[in-house]
Amino acid sequence: MSQLKLSSWVSSDQPFHNPNHLFIQRHSKLFQSDISHPSKLSNFRTINCSLRDIRQRIASVTNTQKITEAMKLVAAAKVRRAQEAVVNSRPFSESLIDVLYSINQQALLEDVDTPLTNVRPVKKVALVVITGERGLCGGFNKFVLRKAEARIAELKSLGLDYTVISVGKKGNSYFVKRPSVSVDRFIEGEGFPTAKDSQVIADEVFSLFVSEEVDKVELLYTKFVSLIKSNPVIHTLLPLSAKGEIHDENGNSVDASEDEFFRLTSKEGKLAVERDKSVGTSDGFLPNMEFEQDPAQILDALMPLYMNNQILKALQESLASELAARMNAMSNATDNAIDLKKSLSTVYNRERQSKITNDILEIVAGAEALLYS
Amino acid sequence: MTLNLCVLTPNRIVWDSEVKEIILSTNSGQIGVLPNHAPIATAVDIGILRIRLNDQWLMMALMGGFARIGNNEITVLVNDAEKSSDIDPQEAQQTLEIAEAALRKAEGKRQKIEANLALRRAKTRVEAINGIS
Repeated sequence: MSQLKLSSWVSSDQPFHNPNHLFIQRHSKLFQSDISHPSKLSNFRTINCSLRDIRQRIASVTNTQKITEAMKLVAAAKVRRAQEAVVNSRPFSESLIDVLYSINQQALLEDVDTPLTNVRPVKKVALVVITGERGLCGGFNKFVLRKAEARIAELKSLGLDYTVISVGKKGNSYFVKRPSVSVDRFIEGEGFPTAKDSQVIADEVFSLFVSEEVDKVELLYTKFVSLIKSNPVIHTLLPLSAKGEIHDENGNSVDASEDEFFRLTSKEGKLAVERDKSVGTSDGFLPNMEFEQDPAQILDALMPLYMNNQILKALQESLASELAARMNAMSNATDNAIDLKKSLSTVYNRERQSKITNDILEIVAGAEALLYS
Repeated sequence: MTLNLCVLTPNRIVWDSEVKEIILSTNSGQIGVLPNHAPIATAVDIGILRIRLNDQWLMMALMGGFARIGNNEITVLVNDAEKSSDIDPQEAQQTLEIAEAALRKAEGKRQKIEANLALRRAKTRVEAINGIS
C-alpha cells in the first residue's frame, strides 16, 4: 500500500531518475518505519529519507566533532611540552659544541683518526627512518615514507647496497608489508623520546658502522619548520668529520655552532613560532687546560655523545612535527564536522516541516471531504 | 671554597649544585677532584661517579662521556646518568643477567660489540647500588 502511495507521489512531484522499484527495495527498511507517511525525497541525493536516521547521523557527527576537538587540544598541549624537552636538552648541546670547538682548536687540526670519523669508500648505506607511533596526523607519515622510498631508489640506481632501521610503529607496519625492502631492525618508542631511546638507536648504528657492515649512516626525520609546515630531511650521521660538522647529501655542511632551535610563543593569543640561531658561546678553555688522555681518546669519547645528541634531537623534532600535523588534521576534521552538522540540521528541519505540513493537509482534506459528503 | 658540579645528559640536567669532592672513573683510571684542582679535560668511562657532600658519599652510574674541570667548575657530559637512589635493585640485577646471556649468545663482531657495551652498563648500575662508599 505504501508502495503505491509513493509512486503516485513521486510521479506527480519530482523528476526521479532511478527506477522506483529498485529504490524502494534497497531502502525497504526505511519505509517500514513507524512513520506512516512516506516523506518527500530530499534534494540532497546522498541524504536518506527518514527523520530518525537523520537525527542519529547528527548525533554521531556531534560526537565525532567532540572527539576531534579534544584530540586537537591534546596535541597542542603536547607540542608545548615537546618544545620544553628541546629546551631542556640545550645545556648539553651547548656544552658539547663548546668542548668540541675548543678541543679542535687546541689539537690544532691534528689528523685524528677515530673509528667514527673513518671515511671509507661507500658500499652500503644504513638509513634510519623516523616515523610516528599513531595515525590521525594527516600526511605526516606518508611524506617521510615517500622520501625514504625515493632515497632507496636513488641508492639502488647508484649501485649501492642499503639497509633500513625503522623507528616508529607506522614505519614498522609499512616496511613489514614490503619484504622487498631489507630492514635491519624495528624499534618502537613511546611518548617523549629520552636519552635511553636514542641510546638504543645509537648503539645499533655504532656497531653497524664500526664493524664495517655499513660505510655511511643517514638519518631521515621531519624537520619542524612551523606549526603548519614541516619537511622530511636527510642528514648524514656517520662518518663524522673531526670538527663535528655534519654534511647533508648535497655536501653542504650544517655547522654545529649555528644550530637552530624552534620556540613556541603566543603572539596575540595565536600560536606562533620563532626560530633563533644560537651562536656557540665559546668562552674557551683555560689556557693551561691539560688533557688527561691524548686528543684521539678524548675525541673518541666525544663522538658517541655528539651522535647520541643528534639522534635525540632528530627524534624530538620528529615528534614535534607529528604533533603539529595531528593538531592541524584534527582542526580540519572539527571544521568539517561543524559544516556537516549544519547541512544535516537544515535537511532535518526541512523534513520535519514538510511532514507537519503534510499532516495538516491530510487532516484539512479529510475534514473538507466529511463536510461535503 | 666549594666545587660546583654539573652533570648533563642529552635530555636533562641530572645534577647541578655544589659538592665537596668527587671521584671520577676515566679511561686511564680513577681521579679524585678537590677544590682548586688544576684544569683538565678528560674522557669518562662507563663507571661510577662518587660525590661527597659533607661526609656523605653519593653514587651515580655514568654511561660514558666527557668531563671538563675548570676553576672549581666541573661539567660532566654523559650519554646517561642515574643516581643510585633512582635505580631499582631487582631490575638492575635482571638487566645484568639478560646482558650476560646476550653476550654468551653473541656471534660476529657487531653483536659482540653491542653485547659488551650493554654488559658494562648493566654492571655499572648494579655496582652503583651495591658499592660501599
